[in-house]
Formats: sequence, C-alpha cells, structure tokens
Amino acid sequence: MTDDKDVLRDVWFGRIPTCFTLYQDEITEREAEPYYLLLPRVSYLTLVTDKVKKHFQKVMRQEEATEIWFEYEGTPLKWHYPIGLLFDLHASNTALPWSITVHFKNFPEKDLLHCHSKDVIEAHFMACIKEADALKHKSQVINEMQKKDHKQLWMGLQNDKFEQFWAINRKLMEYPPEDSGFRYIPFRIYQATTERPFIQKLFRPIASGGQLHTLGDLLKDVCPGAIAPEDGEQKTQVMIHGIEPMLETPIQWLSEHMSYPDNFLHISIIPRPTD
Amino acid sequence: ESLDDSQVAGVRATEEVIRYEYHVIYSSSYQVPVLYFRACFLDGRPLTLDEIWKSVHACYQARLLEGPWDTITQQEHPLLGQPFFVLHPCRTNEFMSSILTSSQKHNRHTNYIILWLSIVGPVVGLNLPLSYAKLAPEQNTTADSV
Repeated sequence: MTDDKDVLRDVWFGRIPTCFTLYQDEITEREAEPYYLLLPRVSYLTLVTDKVKKHFQKVMRQEEATEIWFEYEGTPLKWHYPIGLLFDLHASNTALPWSITVHFKNFPEKDLLHCHSKDVIEAHFMACIKEADALKHKSQVINEMQKKDHKQLWMGLQNDKFEQFWAINRKLMEYPPEDSGFRYIPFRIYQATTERPFIQKLFRPIASGGQLHTLGDLLKDVCPGAIAPEDGEQKTQVMIHGIEPMLETPIQWLSEHMSYPDNFLHISIIPRPTD
Repeated sequence: ESLDDSQVAGVRATEEVIRYEYHVIYSSSYQVPVLYFRACFLDGRPLTLDEIWKSVHACYQARLLEGPWDTITQQEHPLLGQPFFVLHPCRTNEFMSSILTSSQKHNRHTNYIILWLSIVGPVVGLNLPLSYAKLAPEQNTTADSV
C-alpha cells in the first residue's frame, strides 16, 4: 500500500520531456539545433531554462540581451503558471516530447508578464504561497514564519531539494486539531476554451455536517458546466499533475498531497480525446 | 520676467500623454478590494514597470520600498488574463481597520470603497475629486449601511 508521503515525492519529481526549437524568423549565424530537456512539472519555465537560453544565444548574432519567451502552437506560454499546468492544459494528449518554440523578439506585451530576473519569479512564487495561506489559515502560519523559512521554500524549489522544501512546507499543510481541515482550499480551475484565465472561489473542505467535500463537490459548486452528469457522456477530463483523480477524492487530501509547491491545486479541464 | 513663447513650447515638448486604465477587483482570498491598473502612451506602447515606478510620487516611493509585500508588481488580471500592475493587497485590512475604527468613534459615516480608493489611488496617479467625500450618507452605496 503506497504511503501518502510517496505521493508528495511523485508529484515533486514529475518531469516532462521537452524539445525546444528556435523560432524560424529569429536571425541566426548558423543553424540552430533543437535542445532537449526534462522539465520539472512543479517549477516555472523561466526558472529552469537558463541552458536553453545559452544554447540558442550561441547561434544568434550578438544583439542586445532581449527577453526570452516561449510559445506552443501559437499560444504564448505564461511563465508564471507551473510547467505541469501548462502541459496538462495545452498538450497533455499529444505525443511526447512536448515541442516548445523559443522566441527572443516581439515580446507579446498583451499576453505575458515580464520576467527580467529570478527575483520576479521568487516574488510571484511567494505571493502565491502567501495567498494560499490566507485561504488556509488566515495567513497565521506564513506570518509566524521567519524570513529564512520563506527563503528556504524558494531555495528548495529553485534547487530541486524535496526535503529542504517540505521541512518548511509541512507547517503550511497542518491545521488545528479541533478542525478537520483548512479554512478554505486554495485552488484554481483552468479551461483553455474560456477567455477567463481561471476560476477561483472560496470553498470549504468540510461540509456543515462534518463530511469531507470531494473533488466532485468542488466542481459541481464552482463550475457545474464543466463536467457532465454521472449518467451522461463525459466529454471532459479533470486533470491534476497529468492524472485524473477520482471525483470521490476528499478535496482536503488533494490539497495536502497534490498541491503544487505554491500550495495551490491547479486543476485543468480539457477535452477528452475521442479515440 | 515672463517666459517667452518658445520657452513654454520647449517645456511642453518633453511631456507625454499617458492613458491610464484602472480596475477595482474584489479579492476573495484577502476579502478586500485590489487596484489593478495599466498605462500606455498614445501610440499604444505600454509603460514598463520602471516607467510606472518613476511616475509614483517620491513621498510614496519610500513607503512602497519598505517591504516586498507593498510594492507594485505585474500580475495577470484574473478576468481578462492580461498583464496589469497591482498594489499588493495584504496590508489593506491593516490600514483600513484603523481608519474605520476611528471613524466609528467619531460617529462619521464612511463608504469603504471611497475611503480605500482615496488612500491607494493617489499612489498610482488616481486622485479622487473631493466631491466623493462630500456625498451625504443617504447617497452612499447600500453596502456600507449593512
């Protein structure tokens, strides 16, 4: 029987084989070879692609250092979304490796946030953790931590150090013994087909009668149109970290074990493949 | 001695027209309103964070620099999905509750949004006309009479 802690490791160490290709209109001095990399599902594009940037800059003309950005089949990829979320949302039912196009020009100002340094990624990551704790614990746990604990969360992610990260993160996954779970569950639901980037609402893990709310309860409450009734044809997949958890799974358990390092459950609703 | 016409024209040439767009969005996570904004020149070129920062009055800059949580950052607009600049909301409850408590002590009627916007707006170029503050209690929104 798999220990719950094994789930934490499996989530952390998930990887997506990716092929990076330079956009054909970028001006190069010689042909640019594609670059292959295993991307951590739980990290961010601009945090793990220094080698990709160096590889392509080697074949480009010496121009001013312009900001790298990534695109998949014409869609600019939001670096501030975790990599695993981007893959599940845009490419989960396509053949591996994931083919991403690399750009250095014409940054899409209307679509993407700028990412001029690692500090921007850290600030974004910590802001997400802070917001998640506002929902789970009215910010009490995160505010009681010292700056060095906050730093350890970030360093754990940046250096891919599971133990270092969870030494601190476990405190964010606790709750008072008199409660059965968090105050509210930090989650976001994404659908590539809508203009709205995601749905986020207040949702309690425990019902008034004390029963545990499930993933199915969350979906019914927050986006009822996304999943068909039980007897109907299931046209969509509900995906977290590349798998479809059973809708009967308690949402409190999912929040504790399948959140991303930013402490949010990022859930994708995608069309079910018809084959 | 008064400026002659050419000197006045010279001063005007260095000024740019910037179009600001402000959105007030309620954060269910922090249970406070949050100010999102973006700005662009008339030709459509968006202002960078640096340019936005330079337009913040010096007296506010020092306060904003005090903590990472109070600074202006670029965030994704939660409904439009486009980049906007945001004043981080996590200190809002702090400063709002102290003002609201003292208002109650003096039996002054308050409109939360006008109060809040008059504090955060000026930091990023949004100045509320005084006429908002002069609204009689009956003219305030129903939200604050609850």
